[in-house]
Parts: sequence; structure tokens; C-alpha cells
Amino acid sequence: MLRRSMMIFPEDSVAMVLEDAEKGDVIETPRGKVTLLQDVEFAHKVNVVPLKKGDKVIKYREEIGYMLEDAPVGTWIHNHNMGCDRGKV
Amino acid sequence: MEFMGYRRPDGRVGVRNYLAIIPSVFCANTTVRRIAAAVPGAVALAHPVGCAQVGLDLELTARTLKAMACHPNVGAVLVVGLGCERFPSQELYEAVRANGKPCAHLSIQEEGGTTNTVARGIELAKGLKAQVDAMQRVPCDVSELIIATKCGGTDATSGLAANPAVGNMADRVVAEGGSAILSECNELLGTEDMLAKRAVSPEVAKKVYNAIYEIEDLLRNGRDTSLGEGRNELISPGNFAGGVSSVVEKALGGVHKSGTSPIVDVLQYATAPEKGKHGLFLMDYESHDGEVVTGMIGCGAQIVAFTTGRGNPTGHPLAPVIKVTGNYKTYAHMQENFDFDASGIIQKGESVEENGERLFDLVLRIANGQEKTTAEAIGGDELFCIGRRHGYHLPEEFRMDCGK
Repeated sequence: MLRRSMMIFPEDSVAMVLEDAEKGDVIETPRGKVTLLQDVEFAHKVNVVPLKKGDKVIKYREEIGYMLEDAPVGTWIHNHNMGCDRGKV
Repeated sequence: MEFMGYRRPDGRVGVRNYLAIIPSVFCANTTVRRIAAAVPGAVALAHPVGCAQVGLDLELTARTLKAMACHPNVGAVLVVGLGCERFPSQELYEAVRANGKPCAHLSIQEEGGTTNTVARGIELAKGLKAQVDAMQRVPCDVSELIIATKCGGTDATSGLAANPAVGNMADRVVAEGGSAILSECNELLGTEDMLAKRAVSPEVAKKVYNAIYEIEDLLRNGRDTSLGEGRNELISPGNFAGGVSSVVEKALGGVHKSGTSPIVDVLQYATAPEKGKHGLFLMDYESHDGEVVTGMIGCGAQIVAFTTGRGNPTGHPLAPVIKVTGNYKTYAHMQENFDFDASGIIQKGESVEENGERLFDLVLRIANGQEKTTAEAIGGDELFCIGRRHGYHLPEEFRMDCGK
């Protein structure tokens, strides 16, 4: 099923899904159609380009964190698979 | 552009006209609450501090209580002390007297107990209330307005809709010669370069970096791996559930509520800008909703624009708090706690500009007293919290020099 989504900037590596969506649902992005690999809740994100462990995750044209594991296109990107060291040791 | 406000003896302008009953120490809270309950329209500013404090912590309490008492939304003040507290009620009373507004002072130990103080307090408060009720709104310029901006209960819609709408409104206030305040420096990690670029001078840019790096140093030093899971996280379970995955993602969304104006200065907690200085300010403080909102009101903000994706019912006893959301689900679910729905930016393709314009109009109606906020209607006062520093303020020489 086609779901609404938004990429803030075309250079970003993630898009926000704007409806509660299920695995197998599809979003249309400036980088092409992306099939969701997991259920994704409203306002959560998936990657629109393949990401490898250690790659920067880009939203708002800025680095919001880095990947803790590889993520094929359409992976739900959140604090379980993305790290961020600001304010931490 | 003008609105109808209350011109105070110190020259500042209020959008509300409260009689504030203020304890100098928590020991006077019950007395203060009883006096306020007997005088319709009086507000009690009960709080948990005023004694057994030292150094900057005590100074912040004194500074904040004086800033509340002298705030332009307050028409008159009754100060109630116990009599033996570290922050003397006489000092608070003298500050209000110097500010020029009608005020009175009582001490529970001098009056001989709660009952006597309440009885005398009600008498004094009724006299002050009559003076407050005689005060009239007069035409005031929008350049006199200071809008505090804050997010609380952020989700991933906040950075797309609610914060950009507030930022656009803040830009409109600044364009009219008014001011806006951004703070929550611990939630600006990752935005320091873009904020420093917006500073009006290298000195202000350095202050921006220092405010953000200092709080980051505190966070690093305070990190304790022996604590339970999540106890060291900067952001809340609700932020994560709402799709915000890191503090930098939260910051990049949060910074939008400052709009695009240049940063004219960095303010200290509950400290008014230099006379004659207007524009966008950063206040150097962290993100406890109550403490930071009280600090910005202490800087002179008469109105607060508060964005929330998760939903938040809180209000402040001295200033209207305008609740803005970009989450259509939360708006539908908690409508009684919202004043402005910016979700059309996400759901219907509305522009940030049209939302900012509508929000600016709402700010003016609230400034005029034509409308009350939902938080005022339900009597929300949770956001009055006094900033604390438990002895770990970093001295200037230990501040990180970023070299930028």
C-alpha cells in the first residue's frame, strides 16, 4: 500500500513516513520508490539510500547520528540501529 | 504596529495585570496560598526554595523571585516571608519598591503565626487588588514584546511544523522591532555552528559556543555508567516514541523555533537584556520546562510560545503560554490543551508562512487580552520553577575554548 512520506531535503539519507505503515508498504521519495522492511509508525524514518555500519545518517542536511549496523534501503532508522555521541563520553 | 498593554513604572509593558503573592521562602507557601485563595484574581507563586542554599544557587533564587515580582505582567505584589530565611523577604520587598509598583510586605514570625498573617495578608491584598483593578491598558508598540520559545514533549512533527511556525512568528515579532528568546542549550547540541553564524558579532558567537559547549561538558561529566538504562539519555522516552532518534535530530528540529533572525546577545538566566537591545536572544540555560520558561519570563518575556508533539497541559502563573502542535493525532486527542494547530503544514501542504502569520495574529490577540490561552483557562501554573545550580557551575577559566 502506498503511504505518505516526506524528505526534508533531497540530500537527506532518510525520509519520514507520515502515516502508520506496515512492512511491505511503499513510499515515493525523490530517490525513488522505497519498500518498507518493517512496520513504521507515523513520523518515524526509513533510509532512502543503503547505509553501512558507521555511515552518517543525514536529516535536515545535517548528521543526526551514525549507523550501528548495515541497513538496506527501507529500514526503520531509530535509536536501536543509530547512535549519537553528543553529550556523552 | 500596536497592541493594548499595561505600561509599568519601570517603562516595560505587560500583557496581563496580576496581583502576585510571593513567598521569599517555601515556609510561607501555605500562608501565601490561603491569602491568594481569599482574593479573586490574585496569583500565589509558591516554590520549594529560599533557604539552606549557598552561592550561585541562592543567587539564582533571589534573582528569579525579584524578576517575577518586577515582571511587567504583574501590577502589584505582596511579599510574605517567614523571618529567618537565607533569602530575606525584606530584600525582595525592597527590589519591588525600587521597581515602582504598588507592594506590601509581611513576615509570619513578626505577625505571630499563620492565622494572623493570613488575616493581615488578605487585608493588604484586597487593597493592592483595588489598585491593580484601576490600571488601564494603553496602546503599546509591538517592539515592547518579548516572546519566549520552548519545546516540551517533542516528537518528529515538532521540527517540521510547530517549530517552523513559531520561528516564523518570532521573525515577524523581531521584524516589528520586538524580541524573542531561544534557550534549552542542552538541546541545541549539533546546531552550534549554524547558531554562531547567526550571531551579530564574534563576541556573541563565542558566547553562543560557550553556552552550548559548557552544558555539553556538564552532561559528559555527569554521565555515570552505573546508572540504570536510559538514566543518562538526554531525551525522553516520549521523544523516542515520537520518532526522534538522537539529541542532534531533536536539536535540528528545535532550533527552527528561533526563526532566521540574527542573534543579538546571549542572556543569563532571568536577566533582562541591556536596555534598548531588541531582537533574537539565546538564554544560557538547560531544558527543564519549568525552570527554563521561568528563566525566559525572568528575562522579561511576556508571552511563551510552547511547541509540543506529544501534548502538554502546563502553564505559567504570570504569562500566557501558547501551545502549538504539528501532530494532527495529538491535536485531535488533546484539543483542550492546544491553542494552535500547525499540522496542516504536514497534512495539507500549508505553508510555514501562513501558519506563522496566523500565529502572530493569535499572539497579538493574547497580548491585547482579547483571548486567553488554554493553559490560562485551566489554571495551569506548573511552569513556575526556579532555576537551580547545585554547586557545579563551571568557572570561566574551565570553559572549553572551541577556537571557532
